[in-house]
Amino acid sequence: MRKLEPMNKSQQIERRFSVLRTVLAIVISMAIAFILIVTVSDNPGKDFMTLLTGPLRNTSNLTAIISKMIPLLFTGTAICLVNSAGQINIAAEGAFFGGAVAATAVAIIPGIPSMIHIPLCILAGALAGSIVMGIPGILHVRYNAVTIVVALMINYVALYLGMYVILNPLRDPAAGFEASYQFAQSARLPYLFGNSRLHIGLLFGIAAVVIGYVVLYHTGFGLSARTVGKNQKFGTYSGMPVGKTIVGISVLAGALAGVGGTVETLGNYQRFMYGGFTNHGWDGVMLAVLCHNKPHYMPLAALFLAYIRTSADALNFTSNIPPEIINVIQAVIIILVAAERFLAGWEHKAIVGSTKRAMKAEGSAE
Amino acid sequence: MWNYDFIMEFISSVLRMSTPLILVGMAAVIGAKANILCVAYEGMMLFAALGGVMGSAYSQNLFVGILCGLAASVAVAAIFAYFVLYLDAKPLLTGLALNMLATGGTVYVVYLLTGMKQNTSNLMSLKFPVVHIPLIEDIPVLGDIVSGHNLMIYLAFISVVLVWFMIHKTRLGLRIQAVGRNPDAAASVGINVRKTKFIACILSGILAAFGGMYLSMGYLPYFTTGMAAGRGFIAIAAQNMGVGNPILTMIFSIMFGFAMAVGNVAQSFRLPSQFASMAPYLLTIVSMWVMGAVARRKNKKLGTVKL
Repeated sequence: MRKLEPMNKSQQIERRFSVLRTVLAIVISMAIAFILIVTVSDNPGKDFMTLLTGPLRNTSNLTAIISKMIPLLFTGTAICLVNSAGQINIAAEGAFFGGAVAATAVAIIPGIPSMIHIPLCILAGALAGSIVMGIPGILHVRYNAVTIVVALMINYVALYLGMYVILNPLRDPAAGFEASYQFAQSARLPYLFGNSRLHIGLLFGIAAVVIGYVVLYHTGFGLSARTVGKNQKFGTYSGMPVGKTIVGISVLAGALAGVGGTVETLGNYQRFMYGGFTNHGWDGVMLAVLCHNKPHYMPLAALFLAYIRTSADALNFTSNIPPEIINVIQAVIIILVAAERFLAGWEHKAIVGSTKRAMKAEGSAE
Repeated sequence: MWNYDFIMEFISSVLRMSTPLILVGMAAVIGAKANILCVAYEGMMLFAALGGVMGSAYSQNLFVGILCGLAASVAVAAIFAYFVLYLDAKPLLTGLALNMLATGGTVYVVYLLTGMKQNTSNLMSLKFPVVHIPLIEDIPVLGDIVSGHNLMIYLAFISVVLVWFMIHKTRLGLRIQAVGRNPDAAASVGINVRKTKFIACILSGILAAFGGMYLSMGYLPYFTTGMAAGRGFIAIAAQNMGVGNPILTMIFSIMFGFAMAVGNVAQSFRLPSQFASMAPYLLTIVSMWVMGAVARRKNKKLGTVKL
């Protein structure tokens, strides 16, 4: 066992540096945020504190964080799944939108008991989502199409097709603005605790993360998916059903993203109100990469993103600062965390140093 | 409806819609030749659009404006290239993050410098001039089609020729292709792979800058937030459809521009514009499917189909 020690030590150092990189990225981005705020704010101290602690100041902001997390859990997990299988399938945006539209079409039907209506809506959302994300997978496997391109295209197809459905057959002319008919009361998601504005979609979101984790790390299917993602040829030669795995994981991911759209719409609105992309799919791509495609880190990453988004809202409410500034902070954090060789020189030195020390200790012991 | 003026206006609308797509499509062609998965064109366009407006508004000199726009876009390209090539960041993620940086950063700069949050319509920024080609503009129909457009529209078509020439006939272009096809082989004959890819990124940044500047200094007379509106991604699609060939990429860019123009016309007649807007994307998917199916059948005959 003693022989293995230096290696374990260097793995420890690697892990420590990965944490350090994340912390440093957050610190640097906060410093940049501070500079940005100082230049445009009349009261920089107050505004910066709002950015840091605004979401914690009252319970309605705390609820806002959690409800902003919910859709991210779905799209983030969906992207974790496809990324693990090596597919750059960024159609989660379209799957989310398509899921919301399909759920709307079911949700406006009156006279279905709630116990049946909500599952029907979710089924519709899952189906729409899995079609949207499944197509890039199928075209890649059968026709050798470039996944990212098909995914980019299908996002727009889902968007425009969805907008057509909402603004023509499903449009409520009495609404006075561009929106669908109202959802039937039986299709709306109940709140978790009394009137907390926190709907049961949270439970579905957690379920999505658990499903993603179990499928990827505790099933044979997940193992083939991860193997195919790491080395498609190895997967083929060891007899794994590569094509079926890729299509299967894309369809599952799409279903999750579609349910995300369903839950977000039925939980927060009375009718379909989106006029364009919601960006939850892109957020999912970012979160998945931050989590290294491991769904079990998703709640933490989603919490983080939801927190800074809520900060932005708080800032928008209490000051003149354009809330889009938060995008800059987010971008800086992501770029620095993603830069694998950021601090690499240091990390290398630390590992070499510790190995040398271990070797010296071993030498003097003999 | 189908009178002469309407048709001429429609043709010019197609050209206006296609121009930024062609320019950014050429940026994407260079990126693809160097085998770099760059999705940061959206961000480059936004920063260039803003840089051009700011530079020209404060100096009242078009040339200074162009330089500012170029510098802004090239800075994004350089950050992308540095993080991806030298710090091993994931290209897809870095590109997305830079797009996000541009959405937030441009709003910040606009607010800082003008106090407005949506656009810079209160600034006296300059536009690219409209070009009237002598002699040709006097030819009846052809003159109306070819002459009297924004300078950038002509530059877009010229850029196609330049990019084609650069890729196929120059030392740098051949090196970019070599690095993109097989970096190890390129390195073995003494090509500096990272440096070549870096240069390719910068060239992409320059082309994307003109695409972005056209939006705020030609298509519209000012900068509005989020004005790239997915054009960076559509250009990537056009490049992929054109399998990296500049001429084909231009044709597909015009196809997308045509569909956008049809969508606008449909909207102004209160027809559902969604199908026109959707058409190019659907067409792309269907054609990838058909091309794939044809290739598959061919392979089947040769007996090499797997899966």
